[in-house]
Amino acid sequence: MENTKILVVDDDKAIAGAIEKLLVMEGYEVIKAYNGMEALDALVNNDVQLIILDIMMPKMDGLSTMMKVRENKNIPIILLSAKSEDSDKILGLSMGADDYVTKPFNPQELVARVKSQLRRYLQLGAKDSINSSSKIVVGGLCMDVEKAEITVDGEPVKLTAKEFKILEFLMKNAGRVFSAEQIYEKVWQEPAYSVENTVMVHIRRIREKIEINPKEPKYLKVVWGIGYKIEKI
Amino acid sequence: MVTRLRRFSRSKGLKAAAFILDVVFITAIMLQLVYLFYRDFDLEPLFVKEYRQSCEFIDNDLTPAIEKLVKYIATDKGWEQEFDCYYYYNDGEKFYNNISLSELEKYNYIYECNIQTWNYNINSANNVDGAKKNILYLAFPEDYIQQKQEMWDSIRTELVPIAVSFIISVIAAVIFFVYLIVVAGRKAEDDDVHLSPYSDRIYSDVLAGIIILTVYVWFFFTYNLLKRSRYSSGSLAIGMDQKVSLIIIGIITAIAAIICLDLLISMIRKIKAKKLIKHSLIYIILSSISNFIRSFFNDSRFEHYPLTKSLYRRQVIFTVSSGIMVILSFILIFINIFAGFLPVMLEAVIIFWYFYENNKTYDEINNGLQEGYKEMMKSEKMKVDLITNVSHDLKTPLTSIISYVELLSKEDLPETARDYVKILSEKSERLKNIVSDLFDLAKSTSGNLPLDLEYLDLKKLIEQTLADMGDDIEKSNMRIKTTLTENPVYIYSDGKKLYRVFQNIIGNALKYSLQGTRIYIDMEIINNRVNVTVKNTASYEMDFTAEEILQRFSRGDKSRSTEGSGLGLSIAESFTRACGGTFRVEIDGDQFRVKLGFPISVMAEQ
Repeated sequence: MENTKILVVDDDKAIAGAIEKLLVMEGYEVIKAYNGMEALDALVNNDVQLIILDIMMPKMDGLSTMMKVRENKNIPIILLSAKSEDSDKILGLSMGADDYVTKPFNPQELVARVKSQLRRYLQLGAKDSINSSSKIVVGGLCMDVEKAEITVDGEPVKLTAKEFKILEFLMKNAGRVFSAEQIYEKVWQEPAYSVENTVMVHIRRIREKIEINPKEPKYLKVVWGIGYKIEKI
Repeated sequence: MVTRLRRFSRSKGLKAAAFILDVVFITAIMLQLVYLFYRDFDLEPLFVKEYRQSCEFIDNDLTPAIEKLVKYIATDKGWEQEFDCYYYYNDGEKFYNNISLSELEKYNYIYECNIQTWNYNINSANNVDGAKKNILYLAFPEDYIQQKQEMWDSIRTELVPIAVSFIISVIAAVIFFVYLIVVAGRKAEDDDVHLSPYSDRIYSDVLAGIIILTVYVWFFFTYNLLKRSRYSSGSLAIGMDQKVSLIIIGIITAIAAIICLDLLISMIRKIKAKKLIKHSLIYIILSSISNFIRSFFNDSRFEHYPLTKSLYRRQVIFTVSSGIMVILSFILIFINIFAGFLPVMLEAVIIFWYFYENNKTYDEINNGLQEGYKEMMKSEKMKVDLITNVSHDLKTPLTSIISYVELLSKEDLPETARDYVKILSEKSERLKNIVSDLFDLAKSTSGNLPLDLEYLDLKKLIEQTLADMGDDIEKSNMRIKTTLTENPVYIYSDGKKLYRVFQNIIGNALKYSLQGTRIYIDMEIINNRVNVTVKNTASYEMDFTAEEILQRFSRGDKSRSTEGSGLGLSIAESFTRACGGTFRVEIDGDQFRVKLGFPISVMAEQ
């Protein structure tokens, strides 16, 4: 990983500097840019593997910069923004970002997300997607049903049998919402009676294992008042 | 001295005594009058001492005697009858007499009467001219007069004491009445006018009505009694019948006097307090009618709205002038059928003017509203922009702080510096939460909270929230008792926001509950609404009101500084309202209750 280059783009020099230092500590090489134009210039001269991109910037904002980058590059882009609305996140992700981090962010979480994106991009190779019948892939989640193995961005994760079954059920039906009763009946093979707590506890444990920030899950989500689902990515 | 006198004169006892005495004297006056009436006394003996000088004498003795004599003289008949008096008459030809002229002259009182002119007078000079023509001389025998005088005196002796006591009664009654008038409404303590809480409550005109009615009833009864009892006994002394009627009249008079006197004094108190007119039924009715009518013409409430005011004035002018036109046309039709059409035409002009001017004003009002609405939208947008910009401006430096604190913690630092960094880290984390909460709240209260509405089961949402907070609940050692509905309760709302609401409320309850007490979450359905109550027992004295706790930044415990932004309940309230629910906080001693209400969705039954 010594040669991994990361481009950090933020008009606030202090933030850009902090991110640089955090990443350098982890052994990455960092190039800084203070607006969209500089970022595009830096990309021409360097072989960058990941971009951390602030949205609100003078001259050229993050979203326009990202669209320019996406014209010829498939590298992971993590958006940084002070805007914390769901609609902002969805907009950013739909325009081609791989992740969305709101300011003020937890430095360790940012580093974890960088690592996770890089792992996925470098090790699995975003382009050669594994398409086997026994494998279910949702974003960075990859489940091998036959081998009973699951990896998050290439990193193997250990789940209990019940947890695995729940995740398998939800991943197979990614995007669909299931109530606790439905999950229980499917996984436990027993009639469900006041099982909300049981299911929720398992969901929480799974989250802690597969999510970078379990409080703001990316994959396994609670649909309040309805049920649970795996986000279809 | 003066104050003591005043105190005495205004004392309750004296007033009551004066009142009772006044009633007694009024009754006495009445009884004396009735007694005199029954006795059928002539009052003349009271004023004339000598019977000979009384009108009674002239009417009963002198005049009949003269008439009788004149008649006899004219007819020259009947002289054989006996006469009470002596007479002497010379018509020039004949003498009529039952006494000689010399005898007659001995009498002190000789009456001289010219029978042609009917003038008579007392001949006090005692020069009787027997030759005078057409003059009748009269004299009454002394024993006859003496007898009459004795009767006169006996009546007089009976009348005088009655008269004296009557006069005293009248004077006393008047004095006491005047006294009562003077002290009415005054109290010994001050110089103000005090109204009685009883009789003065009655409206003035009602008071007057009661007085008149009482007097009428009194008069009716008394009159009938007097009429019935007057002639039942012919003798001088009064009989049993009259005695009974006297007693009854006395009682009736006393009662009437009590009522009238009390009410009169009440009216006087009102006069003193300048309330006689104002506190009358007629005045109140008339003034409320006049207020009602005046309210139609009162445009002061439109003072700040010139357009509405002009609309209103036009409306008044229109209504009044139309009314006048209707009346006018009725009058004119009686004079001339064609003249009756003149007001109708004028009315048409008025209607045209009314509509034309009003339409202009309506347009102006609409333009004003439009302007106001645009203005509002503009300021709303500015508010949103402000929130976004301030949010960005706060979050950017905070990001640097958090990042550099993190970097600092990775440096090789001495022990004390490491502690400081730890504190910096904690506090910057807290600041981050406060800023985040603050903007959530700002967005929500300014009505810019984006909502993701869907049909969801509130029961499930509560269960999920509790399960999600499992770790916190376990850590806090509190027990949560839930009474949820049996079946799912569907509402149309934003689940994520509601999760935040319940998370905040339950989190609050966990944080501020007394150890060993339980937190209750109850859910009930009333009238197509679902109400959720979260109640807990506070671990400290809640010296604040339900309103204060919801005010931004106010904290349950003001003294201690714990984690959290202090905005939890405010956010919960604001989010609940944004989600279409009601939010109420109740504080009852140590019990803290949060009550949420949501309309149940009808679509849910599908």
